[in-house]
Amino acid sequence: MMKSLNRLPWAIWPRFHRNDDEHLSPYYTFQDYRQTWGMTIFILMSTALVPLVIMTLIYYQLIETSINTESLLRTERLASNARRAVTFFLEERLDALTFAVNEMGYERLTNPGRLSEVLRNLKLGFGGLTDLSVIADTGTQVSYAGPFNLEGKDYSNQPWFLECQQHNACVSEIFSGYRDVPHIVVAVKSVRADGRFFVLRATLETERLIQALSSYKTGEHADIFLVNREGLLQTPSQFYEGESHHMNIPVPAYSDRTRAVMSADHSDQPILIGYAFIDTNIAPTSFILMVVKQKAGMMKVWLDLRSNINWFFGVSAVIIAMVITLTSTVMVNKIFQADRQKAETMVAAERNCQLASIGQLAAGVAHEINNPLALINETAGYVKDLFTIKQQYKEDPELVEHIDSILDAVDRCGTITRQLLGFSRHFDVQTQPIDLNDMVTDVINFHKKEAEYRDIKIHVDIPETIPLIETDRGKLQQIILNLVNNAFQAIANGCFLDIRAEMDGPEQVRLFIQDNGCGISEDHLNKIFEPFFTTKKEGQGTGLGLSITYGLVQKLHGNITVQSKTGQGTTFVVTLPVHIQKEIQS
Amino acid sequence: MKVLLVDDEQKFALMLAKRLALRGIEAEVFFSGEKALETVEQGHRFDVAILDVKMPGIGGIELKRRLGLLDERMKFVFLTGHGSKTDYTTGALEAENYLPKPLQIEELIETLNRLTEGPPESSHRDG
Repeated sequence: MMKSLNRLPWAIWPRFHRNDDEHLSPYYTFQDYRQTWGMTIFILMSTALVPLVIMTLIYYQLIETSINTESLLRTERLASNARRAVTFFLEERLDALTFAVNEMGYERLTNPGRLSEVLRNLKLGFGGLTDLSVIADTGTQVSYAGPFNLEGKDYSNQPWFLECQQHNACVSEIFSGYRDVPHIVVAVKSVRADGRFFVLRATLETERLIQALSSYKTGEHADIFLVNREGLLQTPSQFYEGESHHMNIPVPAYSDRTRAVMSADHSDQPILIGYAFIDTNIAPTSFILMVVKQKAGMMKVWLDLRSNINWFFGVSAVIIAMVITLTSTVMVNKIFQADRQKAETMVAAERNCQLASIGQLAAGVAHEINNPLALINETAGYVKDLFTIKQQYKEDPELVEHIDSILDAVDRCGTITRQLLGFSRHFDVQTQPIDLNDMVTDVINFHKKEAEYRDIKIHVDIPETIPLIETDRGKLQQIILNLVNNAFQAIANGCFLDIRAEMDGPEQVRLFIQDNGCGISEDHLNKIFEPFFTTKKEGQGTGLGLSITYGLVQKLHGNITVQSKTGQGTTFVVTLPVHIQKEIQS
Repeated sequence: MKVLLVDDEQKFALMLAKRLALRGIEAEVFFSGEKALETVEQGHRFDVAILDVKMPGIGGIELKRRLGLLDERMKFVFLTGHGSKTDYTTGALEAENYLPKPLQIEELIETLNRLTEGPPESSHRDG
């Protein structure tokens, strides 16, 4: 899998996914670019998508709430309008009966033919009346006008009659009664001259009421009907008729004003119920006006909107994710490339510096060797001169002295070359126990002549209590050499260089390299370990010496700090572990 | 020809003086610039000074400047421990005579002869 992916161009599978340059990794700014890449994408996605998700959810809720509120309001308004129509229908007729009772009185109403006349006039005025009758306080019908001959009927047990006795008027439920046709009875009570009461009763056709209600019906899923307080249907319901003419949703709680609530029907579908308990201003009724709407029907707008929001959210999320992924990949890759270039430069520079120090070393050694060689040359030349010019070499004690002189000079050369060999061999060695004192002395030896010429006093104070340090000899040597070189460049003739060491706890050694040279200004001090930072003129310094020293100290798991005051000198402090834990990468 | 030889490598200086003596050149040896300067200040005159460039105290270049002030006719030959002349030709010295250590004695003799063969004023000092 990885192999096949590696073959893809970097745009899809970027360069940093292949960590194939182990030797460069110590110089990278980030340890693991794949992790950095992942983190970048994760953080950016989180900051971009979380608010988007939250906003979308809030928007959802807001819209749903407002649509619910709006639906409830609309249902309530519809119920309110229908209630007014029903109430008006009943009140109008009750008022007419009240008017007739008060105007004519019992005597005239029971006068044969008179009642039929009243009925005719009422039919002309309002319509919807089937018959009219006068009922005495005993419950017996004393006068009747209408299509059925119901005179003499006893209504004393009818619920509407009982109610009428209590109140001054009544409105019955819709019922079929003696004639088996659904109708409503409205009646008003009045008092005769002898103090006994009588009731004027009218039968209303329900057809008109049902028609009036139907006209308020809006939409496919809306239903509007009347029930009594037990839930028995008074007018037909299109969707909510259950067993034995009861509606199959619960009867709402009493309220004196029109209300709308959310509920669920028998099959758990969400519905909106608008209802009103209908009371006329003359008599209470047992009617409840029900307006029932299926929420699903009303929610179509919301569902459409939600689908749009979902689409918008989905597309934005995908675009954001793509842009973030692409941008992060390109940016991380760019950083990686730049970092890689820097790392390569650092590696090359370190190599160059190593070569440069070897070159410097070689030059120093050559210079040192030249002096004894010059002596050998002169002495051997003199011996030859004695042979060729003087012709008197036999038994000459001076000759032996000169041969000794030659041997002595050769010995000096031998010492120097041994040191040189020892020095170069140390580049290959990895961790080994090192005597810090010996190492500092070794390094100082190469600067001894220069120190003499320039009258620089070198003072080394490494106490014997400092243990052997287990570390990389070549690297430590280069660190000290670089720092001493640096000091030599910074100090004027006649200054001093002080190298001392002390323990920093049982596990760490601190090496101080202190000079009283020109010092480093404060703004330069921060940059001193940066690569290519130099205070020397262009072309005179690479600005890599201290940067590489810093890298080397890091490699030895140590730490380097610098303190300096302009004009007073500089102290470099190298802290190194006595035992190095990990195997050092060369 | 009177030669002033200054080098902090004592054995080398003495040996070179002996070799010059074998070739009829009288060389007075000093192991430090200060001593040589003192002698010239006391009125001793030399035709040529052979100076080591790098020495503790007064180095060859500084010594040449000071000797030049005392005796403007004095000629100078420098000895360098470094293999190459180029290190010094870029420094404070103008074009002069540099000889790398180890020396070729013939080259030194030739240089000395060339320097002293100059104007007649200096040649009458010979011998």
